[in-house]
Amino acid sequence: MIRYVARRLALAVPTLAGIIVLVFLLLHLAPGSPVSAFGAESGRRVSARAAAEMRRLYGLDRPLPERFVRWMGRVVRFDLGESFVDRRPVAVRIREALPYTLLLNGLALLLTLALAIPLGVEAGGHPESAFDRISGAVLFALYSTPSFWAALLLQTLFSVKLRWLPLYGVSSDAEPSGLAGLADRVTHLALPVVCLTYGSLAFYARLVRAGVAEARSADYVLAARARGLSKRQALWKHAFRNALLPLITLLGLVLPGLLSGSVIIERIFAWPGLGRLYFDSILSRDYPVVLALSLVGAVATLVVTLAADIAYAVADPRVRDGTAS
Amino acid sequence: MKSLFLRLPGSGRVALTVVVGLWIVAAFSPAASRAASEIRLENRLLAPSSGHLFGTDDLGRDLFARVVVATPISLAIGLTAAAVSLLVGFAVGAISGYLGGVTDLLLSRLVEVVLCFPVLFLLLALAAFLPPSPTALVLVIGLTTWPGDARYARAEILKARSLDYTRAARVAGASTARILLRHLLPNVLAPLLVSAAFGVAWAILAEAALSFLGVGLPPPATSWGGILSAAPAYIEEAWWMALFPGLALFLTVSAYNLLAEGLRRASTERGGYR
Repeated sequence: MIRYVARRLALAVPTLAGIIVLVFLLLHLAPGSPVSAFGAESGRRVSARAAAEMRRLYGLDRPLPERFVRWMGRVVRFDLGESFVDRRPVAVRIREALPYTLLLNGLALLLTLALAIPLGVEAGGHPESAFDRISGAVLFALYSTPSFWAALLLQTLFSVKLRWLPLYGVSSDAEPSGLAGLADRVTHLALPVVCLTYGSLAFYARLVRAGVAEARSADYVLAARARGLSKRQALWKHAFRNALLPLITLLGLVLPGLLSGSVIIERIFAWPGLGRLYFDSILSRDYPVVLALSLVGAVATLVVTLAADIAYAVADPRVRDGTAS
Repeated sequence: MKSLFLRLPGSGRVALTVVVGLWIVAAFSPAASRAASEIRLENRLLAPSSGHLFGTDDLGRDLFARVVVATPISLAIGLTAAAVSLLVGFAVGAISGYLGGVTDLLLSRLVEVVLCFPVLFLLLALAAFLPPSPTALVLVIGLTTWPGDARYARAEILKARSLDYTRAARVAGASTARILLRHLLPNVLAPLLVSAAFGVAWAILAEAALSFLGVGLPPPATSWGGILSAAPAYIEEAWWMALFPGLALFLTVSAYNLLAEGLRRASTERGGYR
């Protein structure tokens, strides 16, 4: 077990280095760098002051090796710099936006799993049944629906036509207190959470379904049935548990998917989270924020993936012994 | 290869018909270009009627014509971006899976690095910072999505590598390049085709998302995502501006996804979406 964890950690080191290098390369699309001459022609340029600041901050007029050392120096000191827009530390701006994104994506993830697991087990337990076919078709349609289109349609229906839910925002202008305040928050959360949920719901329900459908005819499930367990018990206690294992490793890649979704959904619903911060920073050419968010997002994903892989090895001895592919 | 299309399930055949239909619409779309660009402010924000099937937009342009004109742009960018992604992804995945060892270790790290970034973060940064052009957009989408194809190709090659025909070729003295191109490639052609169809759906969505966010192709180029980007401002009065361009997008994406799923089933593969 320790050997497996050590090996997995060692493999993460080059990946981490690669992430830092890739963000360093992104930096070279910024003004003051050779690439920006290219950018100026396209009319997408920034003020001379910002360009000068970029050069000072990242040493863009220096030779490449020196630039890289300087960049590494900032990364290891967790020095994310100051925002060009409001002069406040980037770390503070990220910390302000983080709770909004966590709330939105946390709820979406919980809702996804709460729906995907029973749907997938039910469909996978009875392949080719009416339920399996209908849920499969509906999930397939959801999977192909662009989230920004769904958001616009839901806004049109629930906010404009029916007037049940607010169009966007975190809360009403005159923020009510107590129970009414909570209800106000929930109505503002409803549409963005639904929009972030349905796509991943389709993805995970399909995975659970495939796993359960394969496991249901395995010997250990048949044995469980032979011992007198009901079909339901055999499905949930044996087939599902085994189908759950591969899902753990995929959970690591949930994070980048959620952050991507957040960019679009937070923009449409004027939600002040990380996705919105990233998009606004791209538009206002706020490079320190763009670079910091890319770096933080990728490193967080690496950490979660690592944790998921180790959790998988704890759960399944075949992985750590290298007997499974 | 021919038999693969013949073995498509019913849903896959419907999807293939829709895809072919979309390309036919694209071929005849120049006929609508005049109606699509004609600005008539007295006609702005008209609801759908027999005169304007999909209604008109904020500048009085006919939305049906605009959606038709956008078809070749969305389809072409989707197809070429998916081709770039597939080419890079399968090259990296095949080399990684076939050679194994240190090469595999390093290339797998590279794939992992790109996968760690939220796709839209990379897409937005590259699309916003590079000069806007169709070529740049295709490269940006293709070069951010190849790691998925690489993982898929690596797994397929690993499977095929240990099979008898590969070993026989190696014993017979065939070079690595020959084994990869003449023996392994034809045998992973079916999964490659599945991957390509899913890839086109994905690339069309990516282009639409970028254009919707305003960093795709600049006007007057028209794509479905670009038309949709005007919809939020008029959501209170013109629902048709959101409904119809999105419907075209949905139809296209689901047709390609369904085709991919059908091809996968025809080549007797199992599993979920990629």
